[in-house]
Amino acid sequence: MTAIAETALFRAVGARTRRIRHSGWLNPQILVAGAVLAAWLFVVVAAPWIAPFDPLAETGARLSAPSAQHLLGTDSLGRDVFSRTLYGARESLPIAVAAIGASLIIGCLLGAIAGFFGGVVDATIMRVADITMAFPAILLAMAVAAALGPGLTNALLAIVAVWWPIYARLTRGQVMSIKEREHVEASKAIGSSRWRTLFRHILPHSVTPIMVNATMDLGQIVLLVASLSFLGLGALPPSPEWGAMITEGAKNFYQPWIAAAPGIAMVSVTLAMNFLGDGLRDVFDVRARR
Amino acid sequence: MNRPRLGKLARTKGAIVGVAALATALSACGSPATTSAAEGARQLVIARAMDVSTLDPQRGYCDTCQIIFSAVYETLVTVDPDDPSSIVPRLATSWTVNDDATSFTFELDPDAVFSDGSPVEASDVQFTYERMVNLQGSASFLLAGLESIETPDAHTVTVNFADPNSAFLAIGAAPYLGIVNEEVAVANGATAGEDAATADASEEWFLQNSAGSGPYTLAGYESGQSVELTANENYWGDEPTFPSVVINEVTDSSSQLQQLQQGDVDIAMQIAPDALAQLEGVTGVTTEVVDSYNFVYLMLAPGAAGGEALEDERVREAIKLAIDYDGVIDTTVGGYGKTQGSPIPNGFEGSEDQELPSQDLEQAKELLAEAGYADGFTISSAYPKFAVYGVDFDVMMQAIQQDLAEVGIELELTPMEYTQWAEMLGSGGSPITAVYFAPDHMDSSQYVQYFGMVPTGAWSATASVDGAVVNQAEVDGLAQALTETGEDRIATYTALGQEMADDLIILPIVNPQLVLAYASDVTGVEYSPCCNLDLAGLGIQE
Repeated sequence: MTAIAETALFRAVGARTRRIRHSGWLNPQILVAGAVLAAWLFVVVAAPWIAPFDPLAETGARLSAPSAQHLLGTDSLGRDVFSRTLYGARESLPIAVAAIGASLIIGCLLGAIAGFFGGVVDATIMRVADITMAFPAILLAMAVAAALGPGLTNALLAIVAVWWPIYARLTRGQVMSIKEREHVEASKAIGSSRWRTLFRHILPHSVTPIMVNATMDLGQIVLLVASLSFLGLGALPPSPEWGAMITEGAKNFYQPWIAAAPGIAMVSVTLAMNFLGDGLRDVFDVRARR
Repeated sequence: MNRPRLGKLARTKGAIVGVAALATALSACGSPATTSAAEGARQLVIARAMDVSTLDPQRGYCDTCQIIFSAVYETLVTVDPDDPSSIVPRLATSWTVNDDATSFTFELDPDAVFSDGSPVEASDVQFTYERMVNLQGSASFLLAGLESIETPDAHTVTVNFADPNSAFLAIGAAPYLGIVNEEVAVANGATAGEDAATADASEEWFLQNSAGSGPYTLAGYESGQSVELTANENYWGDEPTFPSVVINEVTDSSSQLQQLQQGDVDIAMQIAPDALAQLEGVTGVTTEVVDSYNFVYLMLAPGAAGGEALEDERVREAIKLAIDYDGVIDTTVGGYGKTQGSPIPNGFEGSEDQELPSQDLEQAKELLAEAGYADGFTISSAYPKFAVYGVDFDVMMQAIQQDLAEVGIELELTPMEYTQWAEMLGSGGSPITAVYFAPDHMDSSQYVQYFGMVPTGAWSATASVDGAVVNQAEVDGLAQALTETGEDRIATYTALGQEMADDLIILPIVNPQLVLAYASDVTGVEYSPCCNLDLAGLGIQE
């Protein structure tokens, strides 16, 4: 083998390796984030088995500092903060996923319709979205939650009410650019109905950036749910929802463990979601890869 | 007097702010106030969660109002700081009461002058009392049954009641009955006429100004920020030590604690017992824990939507028996509190012989089974979310929720903002809610009037699914008590306390002690039930 050929071979192999690396899936960001989220997923499923105590029962002296028995101490009712934090994941995370899911469905549908049909439909939907987005998310969510009354279900509705326009706008932009592509022209040419064209040939091509965005938003939603609970508009007592736990901790700031435990849990989830979102964007987004 | 619903709520609200009803033992005319107020004397700064919506003494009804009113206005009589059950002179030098306690004649101190220098006269008393009645405000019930007021001369005033009212001297010390300068008040829109409730246009003016004879005058009020008082230059009694007093709005115990530690404030009025440990050994800060007459209670409302299960008295008794009182007291105020047998708080006439509540889960379960709830039931409870008298309602209600779960009662909790909660009570109420009360004066009649199943009762309207409840024994007992004095009255109030305990509508949970926390060089910080904090009695240690 000549040196030149050898070099060429190495180059080829190197390029291939680089391509795999570049594909981003082995990005340490994604790996770490994935591991953290997998751990939380495990907690959500297995909380009853891994939590040492009943999260709602008085199981120790009140306001006691972290110890071997109570790893993260106890709160003002003598409940185990560690167990409550684990159970809190079961309250905070599913609600965030549900909120994102519902916002995605509503937002994508309305955005796609707006982008595809244009005209008055587009103007109507997008102006409503604009008006909604003109308000700070937390403010509008508070207003909606206050009107509906406290409770996690109402908090979820409030979040969906403020979050769908983000996806509507994103989807509309995607749909408008994709609908000019040739394969869409082709679909129209062979006589597909407009709805079929939209759902078969346009939407599937716009899903990726929306999903990446949704991943990054999930962290924000976890924070928003907690914020509403913190303000008393979300979870009701004695729920161990993280935001509600932080409210309680704030009243006892000489016992910092009460607020710190759910706070750190929330940071880990939000950070992991942002890492994952970043990583996924690197993987899928052509512009970012270049 | 038939007060409107909102008035009753405002009353409750008044009780809220007694979070830490501090008071000094020194009254304006009682003991010699510390002389000084020399140049360079400092401003006194107080941290307090305030609940002020008006500063008109005949309209207001809150504990912060009591502090301000008792510093700015003066009542005819006041409570002896050393013996709260006895009445001592303030604007009146002496008084006589007729045999059946329907007529009270007061001789006013000829030296007494208002802050504008004009003398305090009988006509001012008449104006104030008539205005109080006709404004139909939250505290107007204090003069229920007032028939007429006579002013034979400028310094003599006679107050006549339709029925015997042996509690009137005690009531006369309530800060809401502080005498207002008629001339100044009228010039600023006040009226005492029968149409005062609609015609009086002075509320706005009273929010920024005062027209009293007390040691301080109101210098300004900013909602949610602060109240400022300055010493009354024309005060006819002893000059107060502090030339100026500012009460700053500081809503929670933690922030008050911090500000006290940093020396930003001289007195922190609502420190929770949990925070006591943080103040231990802090130089320059004095803390004391004192008894109070305040209490926190559960109110059961069978007549509220979803409260039907409570119609059965056995269910209400089961709830009473299911609560671990010592546990709740430990959890909420770190053990700094007592149980209380009836709505008449420990220390008031009629409280001594009441049986104190205690937990009995077996009996509670039996009663529930008898009532057909062997498997328990679910019931909702909306309550205001705040801390009062050191008791955090969120914590208390969750502790009670755990206790009730032991007997199968699932309590669904909904914490609410105060105004939202008050609205909710006005529109049907919640089957179970948490409320609080601090005394208005030193006579037990207020507890029967407010908590009894009587026409003036705040909670009688929802006491049954069939509508308002009247317990004739309480109506008669109250009328009887107001004709009596001494041992007889105590016996009547004891019987009334028992009646109210047997109604099983009001379940007192804790009678908390209060934490007094203040800069060590401030003197005279004490708890008294009449006027909260007597600002004029505060001094500086030499």
